[in-house]
Amino acid sequence: MSNATQSQPWLETLLQVLARRSGQPDTQRGTAQRASTRDWRWPTHRTEAWRFTDLGCLTQLDPTRLHTRTATPPWPDAAVSSRHVSLQLDGRGHWLSPQGEPPTWPHGLVPLPNEEITPGQVAHTVIPSGTLPLGAQLNGVTPGPSLGLQVRGPDPVHLALAIQVEQAQAWLAPHLLLVLQPGARLCLSWHVAATAQAAVMPVVETRLGLGAQLEEVTMAWGCPGATFLNSSFINQSPRSVYRRTNVAWGWGLSRDEPFIRQSQGQAETHLYSLAVARGQSLLDTHSTVYFDGPAGQLRQRHQALADDRGHSVFNGRVVVPRVAQQTDAGQLSRNLLLSTRARIDTKPQLEIVADNVQCTHGATVSCLQDDELFYLQSRGIGRDQASRLLQRGFCEDILQRLPKAALAWPSLQRLLEVPVPDQP
Amino acid sequence: MTSTETTPVREAPIQTGDLLLSIENLHARVEENEILRGVSLRIRAGEIHALMGRNGSGKSTLSKVIAGHPAYTVTAGSISYRGQDLLALSPEDRARSGVFLGFQYPVEIPGVSNLEFLRVSCNARRQHRGQEELDTFAFEDHVRETMAIVRMDPAFLERSVNEGFSGGEKKRNEVLQMALLEPLVAILDETDSGLDIDALRIVANGVKQLALPTTATLLITHYQRLLDAITPDFVHVMAEGRILRTGGKDLAMALEQRGYDWIDGTDGTDGSDTPQP
Repeated sequence: MSNATQSQPWLETLLQVLARRSGQPDTQRGTAQRASTRDWRWPTHRTEAWRFTDLGCLTQLDPTRLHTRTATPPWPDAAVSSRHVSLQLDGRGHWLSPQGEPPTWPHGLVPLPNEEITPGQVAHTVIPSGTLPLGAQLNGVTPGPSLGLQVRGPDPVHLALAIQVEQAQAWLAPHLLLVLQPGARLCLSWHVAATAQAAVMPVVETRLGLGAQLEEVTMAWGCPGATFLNSSFINQSPRSVYRRTNVAWGWGLSRDEPFIRQSQGQAETHLYSLAVARGQSLLDTHSTVYFDGPAGQLRQRHQALADDRGHSVFNGRVVVPRVAQQTDAGQLSRNLLLSTRARIDTKPQLEIVADNVQCTHGATVSCLQDDELFYLQSRGIGRDQASRLLQRGFCEDILQRLPKAALAWPSLQRLLEVPVPDQP
Repeated sequence: MTSTETTPVREAPIQTGDLLLSIENLHARVEENEILRGVSLRIRAGEIHALMGRNGSGKSTLSKVIAGHPAYTVTAGSISYRGQDLLALSPEDRARSGVFLGFQYPVEIPGVSNLEFLRVSCNARRQHRGQEELDTFAFEDHVRETMAIVRMDPAFLERSVNEGFSGGEKKRNEVLQMALLEPLVAILDETDSGLDIDALRIVANGVKQLALPTTATLLITHYQRLLDAITPDFVHVMAEGRILRTGGKDLAMALEQRGYDWIDGTDGTDGSDTPQP
């Protein structure tokens, strides 16, 4: 049964439920988005971008029972500076401190008034003629306030956001707008955990001014019945730097869709991602990077580990039009296939028109190397432990890019103790 | 052959001269190619053996079969280790019980910390011997002390296993592992290859320090220079999957001068003037 066949009645019920809820106090967010829902095209397997990705995990949710309740995240002990703010999403869609208080914004981080937080304002500059990804569409019709922040000054500001879901049928769709002024620097970390059948679908829209820098880290940890639809839209000005490290594991379905546009080229984009698909987990990454000017740089590395009946999907689209001469883009997809029933689908998609560019891509799919296993065994390490060490070694290439504060999260500690349990 | 959980045991005391490893008429193949065609060899505590021979004669295969490499199938013969059927043990159990293989080409393992790897290995061996496992801090002290044997920079602990190591650094890392695991039988497969003069001296000195009256060493080498630094008690020459000749140190010197043709008679002689042990 196709995604569409499964989902049309479910979607209609969902939209009716959300429309009823729109009677509650709301921002302009939901109204505009809902107006366009009649144009929706629910993804089908005939759509190339959804060829391998089944939405059954999402549509198992009961639209009539959805709620927004969250739990308290297990914040790790960490040194907190005056330029650091930690926030968790509460059940009413508000971002509060771990003590449950409204945030105290550090110097350099200024909340934007609601009227300046128009959903889609960056997304539509990044994909002006394209349809928003499913996660962003669903996010858009969900009632709830957005968080908009302006980042100023060259001293780095740290923003840590956490969402913890422990009750079944939770439906959380936070929206974050970030505007980095020229030269501003922000370290943003997300920790999303779902231990029950639920859906989390954040949307992040970011505008990076001249020479601004954003380091974004996402650790998304789910359980077999949980769905994670992550949409990011990044518009980069020249000399800006965007570094994104995304680690996902445990979800029944995860679809990570970063869209990045170097609006005039001459910027740096670094994308690193790790997907650990065990059990029947389906982890999908579809990234798109547009170069709209010369001399842009991209360094992208996606790594996936698939075991049991796990399935990893990667599609890395890089668009280099004629105006983007001297683009320097490198993309690598490395995959570890550990079971005969596991599956890897990986596809580079380089669309290059400019003739003076350096664009490389590569994809490897391998299993654990016998020589490596034997080397460890010959030192007294049992085969299972040797296998775990090698799997962890494979993940380490991405995990080493995480900041120390991120490594302190208990969930990540459990990932590091491979094998990853299906149930968090 | 299956891996078993390590059961702590006290290793029985060993006296110099005790038979540690006994290989009888060993035949082994990889895929359809028979590589070992009747190897017999006995190694006792306190002995240093050198195994020489042309490329492809079966030296490295013998070492891997002893260590339990799964690519090789033993088709006949036996290997007894301290009276136990070694071939019935998994590679890890062989290592835990005191058989060590120093690799000719140590494998690079990206992402796996050398320190963690050494600690896990060392503790697997210690657990088997009934010794207390070392925690992170105790092990770090232990390994730094042990590194002095091969004059290895502690910075290599922080790196991934063998990743980006030079040939010499990899071989030092092998000898470091040998020092940490305290094997009863150490097989060093061309540990001297790829080493400059100074590194060879350091590695050779390390191996000599670790060769005790209660342990045995099998050196696989092509060159006399390693045997100048480590005097073997026996020298064996392999050809076409079997040991053709056994002698003393003089045999290695004769090989250096006359080559392998002399041993297998392809130079027109029958090699009968070989000094006998």
